[in-house]
Amino acid sequence: MLSITRSDLRTIIDHCNAGYPDEACGILAGRLGRVERVYCMANARPGPASYEMDPEEQFRVMKDVQLAGLEMLGTFHSHPGGQAYPSGIDVERAYWPGTLFPNYPDIVHVIVSLIDRQNPVVRGFSIDSGTVSEVGLEVLDQVLR
Amino acid sequence: MTVKVRIPTPLQKLTNGKSEVECSARTIGEMVDVLEKDFPGMKERLTEGGKVRRFINIYVNEEDIRFLNKEGTALKDGDAISIVPAIAGGR
Repeated sequence: MLSITRSDLRTIIDHCNAGYPDEACGILAGRLGRVERVYCMANARPGPASYEMDPEEQFRVMKDVQLAGLEMLGTFHSHPGGQAYPSGIDVERAYWPGTLFPNYPDIVHVIVSLIDRQNPVVRGFSIDSGTVSEVGLEVLDQVLR
Repeated sequence: MTVKVRIPTPLQKLTNGKSEVECSARTIGEMVDVLEKDFPGMKERLTEGGKVRRFINIYVNEEDIRFLNKEGTALKDGDAISIVPAIAGGR
């Protein structure tokens, strides 16, 4: 389970819409399964079916997360014309090349489908040991910090 | 040159769980060879055909070696090397 406020969820969807028709991406940081910060990031390989975080921005963000005493709880990216489910490439890139060791164990891969842009579908997944499983997203109406 | 190398979680199986190791090397390429001696299997994980694998980012302090001199990037005493998997995907 990953908990996120409605306003942070809105931030994610807005960033994905801003990147449309290309994929958009970012990092979710927080504590104890609750998202406290959303980092909206650049897509260094923009396309309607590809994303890659800018390596230097990724490094800066990961450092910022660590300095803030938070953890990287997840990443998000959009599927402008696809379902909210990890693609074959999403799954492949989640592992260290040539292995089934997840690059970032325990993170939630949040995917935003923009097939219906008025009604985006947002779902979370874990990708580990060759298995994709859905992780529930709990949307909080209030900030409980 | 003694540098500190931060090891990402998926490679810590090779370093007996250590998240940071010290290493003496003059360049990134040499660092990979030294890591391979200390932790067999590391070279194959990090490189392919002598080049750092695609979707693996290596930083010297905060700079991506792709914008420095790639595998030939020179190291100096006290440098902090970070090995960080890229976050990427696509349909």
